[in-house]
Amino acid sequence: MVTDETLFAWLDGELDPQEAERIAAEVAADDKLAERAKQHRAMQSRLKGPFDRLLDAEVPEPLLAAVRKPEPEIIDFAAAQRSREARRWAPLPQWAAVAATLAVGIFVGTMVPQRSDAPVEVQGGRVYAAAALNHALDTQLASAPSGDVRIGLTFRDQSGAICRSFAQTAASGLACRGNGRWQVRGLFAAPEGQSSDYRMAAGMDPNLAALVDSTMAGEPLDANLEKAARERGWR
Amino acid sequence: MDRSLTFDHELAAMLPRLRRFAHTLSRNGSDADDLTQAAIERALRSEAQWQPGTRLDSWLFRIMRNLWIDTIRSRSRKERFEAPPEEAERVGEDPRDAIEASIELQRVMAAMQRLPDEQREVVALILIEGFGYREAAELLGLPIGTVSSRLVRGRTALLELVGM
Repeated sequence: MVTDETLFAWLDGELDPQEAERIAAEVAADDKLAERAKQHRAMQSRLKGPFDRLLDAEVPEPLLAAVRKPEPEIIDFAAAQRSREARRWAPLPQWAAVAATLAVGIFVGTMVPQRSDAPVEVQGGRVYAAAALNHALDTQLASAPSGDVRIGLTFRDQSGAICRSFAQTAASGLACRGNGRWQVRGLFAAPEGQSSDYRMAAGMDPNLAALVDSTMAGEPLDANLEKAARERGWR
Repeated sequence: MDRSLTFDHELAAMLPRLRRFAHTLSRNGSDADDLTQAAIERALRSEAQWQPGTRLDSWLFRIMRNLWIDTIRSRSRKERFEAPPEEAERVGEDPRDAIEASIELQRVMAAMQRLPDEQREVVALILIEGFGYREAAELLGLPIGTVSSRLVRGRTALLELVGM
């Protein structure tokens, strides 16, 4: 007896060699099964053929243009560094003016201290969460705050990676999972002389809110999904 | 900046495959090219998140698939307040389709539209894009058994829809 699931896995080359040989023998010995395999092969080629012709079709000009002309609305570190010079003279939107009085975005490089208890560390041009921040991102749920770090939203970005926003006394930011680490995508210093209580009351730093907005795909994870994501190691 | 040039170049080389994948998911040619455009823009914005040495195609397809899901969600929210659309009429209503796409393409796109979304994405990745079950499962964030059983249902339905 060959189930559909096994027959299809055989057609798709998903079986190990021994198993594939066994199914090949069964198909060869059973006319009805052979007919079914043939029908499905034919169906796949009828389905795939017209789509495949798109590979040779001319790509519409607007799509080619989109690749040549990247969007300037970028708020991640790498791109921010690239366009910092250009942006310095660009007119700022209103929220940015508000943000400037409340928070100062810091960009990575020489500004991040290399101490063992620093909340971030730089490696190969990327910024990663370290020490207490790393621990909080790994273990803490938004529904159960503890310690100095508060977790805000947990969500998936456009590539499917888990991202979490966080706030500490000195700064708030966003970190996303990649290569088994928390890569910091944005870090915004708390304004001088303002306590974290103030920021909690005032809500998310507008720079951070803008970054979260541009990073998030779909909806934030609810408490159950957040917990489940933690159990899967934030994959 | 070299990395960025390479990225743009590879992204451009992926355009035909991105268009094919978009057509397997979308209702018509113009929706497919809108989806492709949105995926390119998002990929360019998210370039820093792509890890060189990993498969660019999987990464781009994941971006496109997530955008497609977002579109479906917002569309279903919107359509709750409107008259239900006639799916069969919508396929091919774009005049560009008549010129650009063959009758066969419209026919297979219509067949794909008859599948539930969760079967369509699995069929698209495995039967048309040629991903392995494991790769497709990783891309979709699903257990491999779920992918395999959705593929069985999708394939069985398509046998009727596409003919033998």
